Amino acid sequence: MSVDAPPSTLSFTAPRETVATVLQAVGRAVSSRSSVQILGGILLRTDNGSVEAAATDMELSLRATIDAKIAGEGAVVVPGRVLLDIVRVLPPGEVTFAQLSGESMMSITCGSASYRVHTYDATDFPELPTAADGETHSLPPAPFFDTLATVGKAASRDESRPVLTGILIRLAGNRLVMAATDSYRLSVKESPIELPPGLELDAVVPARALNEVARLGAGAGDSSLELAVQQNQIIFGYSGMWLSARRIDGQFPNYEQLKPDSFEAEMRASRDELGEVVRRVAVLAQRNTALRLGLSEGQLSLRSQTQDVGEAEETMPVSFTGEPIEIGFNPAFFLEGLESVDSDEVVLRLINPLRPGLISDGSDDFWYLIMPIRLAS
Amino acid sequence: MFYAGAMIIAHLDLDAFFAAVEELERPELRSVPLVVGGDPSGRGVVATANYHARQFGIHSAMSCAEARRRCPHVVFVRPSKNRYSDYSRAVWEAVEGVVAEVQKTGIDEGYLNLTDQAATFREARSLAEVVQATVRAKTSLSCSLGIATCKVVAKIASDRKKPGGVTVVRPGRERAFLAPLDIRKLPGVGPRSEERLHRAGIETIGALASLSDDELGSVLSGKVGTGLRDRARGIDPRALELPGEAVSISHEETFPRDVTDRAVLHTEIHTMAERVAERLHRRGKATRTVTTKVRYGDFSIRSRSRTLSAHTDDAGVIGSVGCELLDRALKDRPGALRLVGVGVSNMAAERQLSLVPVEAEAIADSANG
Repeated sequence: MSVDAPPSTLSFTAPRETVATVLQAVGRAVSSRSSVQILGGILLRTDNGSVEAAATDMELSLRATIDAKIAGEGAVVVPGRVLLDIVRVLPPGEVTFAQLSGESMMSITCGSASYRVHTYDATDFPELPTAADGETHSLPPAPFFDTLATVGKAASRDESRPVLTGILIRLAGNRLVMAATDSYRLSVKESPIELPPGLELDAVVPARALNEVARLGAGAGDSSLELAVQQNQIIFGYSGMWLSARRIDGQFPNYEQLKPDSFEAEMRASRDELGEVVRRVAVLAQRNTALRLGLSEGQLSLRSQTQDVGEAEETMPVSFTGEPIEIGFNPAFFLEGLESVDSDEVVLRLINPLRPGLISDGSDDFWYLIMPIRLAS
Repeated sequence: MFYAGAMIIAHLDLDAFFAAVEELERPELRSVPLVVGGDPSGRGVVATANYHARQFGIHSAMSCAEARRRCPHVVFVRPSKNRYSDYSRAVWEAVEGVVAEVQKTGIDEGYLNLTDQAATFREARSLAEVVQATVRAKTSLSCSLGIATCKVVAKIASDRKKPGGVTVVRPGRERAFLAPLDIRKLPGVGPRSEERLHRAGIETIGALASLSDDELGSVLSGKVGTGLRDRARGIDPRALELPGEAVSISHEETFPRDVTDRAVLHTEIHTMAERVAERLHRRGKATRTVTTKVRYGDFSIRSRSRTLSAHTDDAGVIGSVGCELLDRALKDRPGALRLVGVGVSNMAAERQLSLVPVEAEAIADSANG
């Protein structure tokens, strides 16, 4: 927010615990690598009788208010890293922040500890997206956070295809769909959700920003998640925090089209037991080598081999229908698929060693499509 | 000889590499203070400064704004990475013509194993001078070398007499050579360990080398600590990491007469891509990186590479990516070509398949490009 020159200098006092909690939460949006110095800072400003703290790296922003006694109105940007380091070690008690008039410095005092730190001009801080009154909708948080936790890991980290670094969120007709893919696997979950009338959404939101939303969800539960949809931004409000995320332009892959119509083979196994076996065998699938699954009637054998390191093998009883097959998967991708399944039994459907496999709980509400590794021999 | 069986390792470091390349491409820059790096009006940093600029106290990683403050008439040039890769390749080809075992560790540095080619450290120095002369003859670039019994000492030594120097640290002299140097010069000491060492009053490599186990344990924990102290003592058992079997496959074609017709060049690239794909099939491999190389009428070389999101062994994909790269090279620098080549690297036998086929991706991208 471009802030007009403050009429006075910022000064406020609040308990250390309050300050530390808010700043550490907001500080997660501080840009660590930006070449723009001010993005490494946290904005502190008075706003309607409270103090607002905000940070952004231009992809996402976080804002929250500090419940404080205000002695002077104003706004200032304090370098984030040093501010967080300070509040972390302050002794218990009241902390006073005071902008020093005529100087671009701020004093921070708490008990007998006192600091003076250089600051930046708040007028240089970018304007952050905010939700106008009446623009926000209330959602039940549980389905949103559960769905996000299920698909989140499948998003890509490769910046060369930006749309895949996002998670597709669809809200319509009391259904929530989220989908994520890095082009090697695709995770799709659909959940019932009670939507306020008039709310529809079809947006791709950076997975990194949604990870931060998920962190908000991990804290104490509010009864509702606030959502505001703007042309270029999505704004989330939860537990006193506001997070805005840039929407990603571009066409998300048509996930329904990628899902094969039919499969040739099906395995059913205990999710936890299979997970244990995979973890044990995967130890020797190093340097991007494949976890090899050999399936035949009643049995799954898992193998891995890394040149110059060694090999591992383990078999387990499973229920299997279809012709015997050997197929290779990236062990990490495979495990993440298993871990996304929210039931005791996991179903793996296959076509052939070069076509995608599908991991699910047997229902149509969640599916995880995983492309094989083409085996050398 | 002393120390029978001692390794003789050299570290080669090109002198002010990016700046030197810019000076070769634009000779008028030779006589001025020159910085290759980011935007001086923004928040760019110095990647390389030439030796004129260094006289003003300008060095790598300094902000460009600071460089300009120290020397207002310094000339700033943006890095041209592809050109540096081309020169770098030429340098390493030259080095490999002299020394059999070479481990490149960066675009402008690497280790040479001289053990089998030099019986003594005196011979090793002569060999290093041959390397310098060859690199200079083939590329007009200057480099410095350090020679010692192990990597860490050789690397520190190569920085000792820059530019164009050869520094030999004889066996048994490693610890004395390292002792007076600032702890920051020791490879492996990052900002965090440097801070911990400073807090413990350890400023020089020698001070770290003389710590007892107990003293060391209270400063740096576990293997990191003992590893760094070993290095400080001039002990570094790392051998050279040499490339295994062929890491790339390429084909190139020199034309009887220089060619400008784009259609002819594209046909040529597709034909070569088929041969490359055949060789991939024979070895049961697939590739992720495609490179197109061009040589102009004036013999200057450019190359362009692209890494795909997944492996392929498809001649059509390699060909269309190769053509796209050719078009990019000719867009950056138009001209008649006397040679084109297509190569692939980044190969694997097993390959992760993609939901969105790489074929479709390559075609979509070349349509966009």
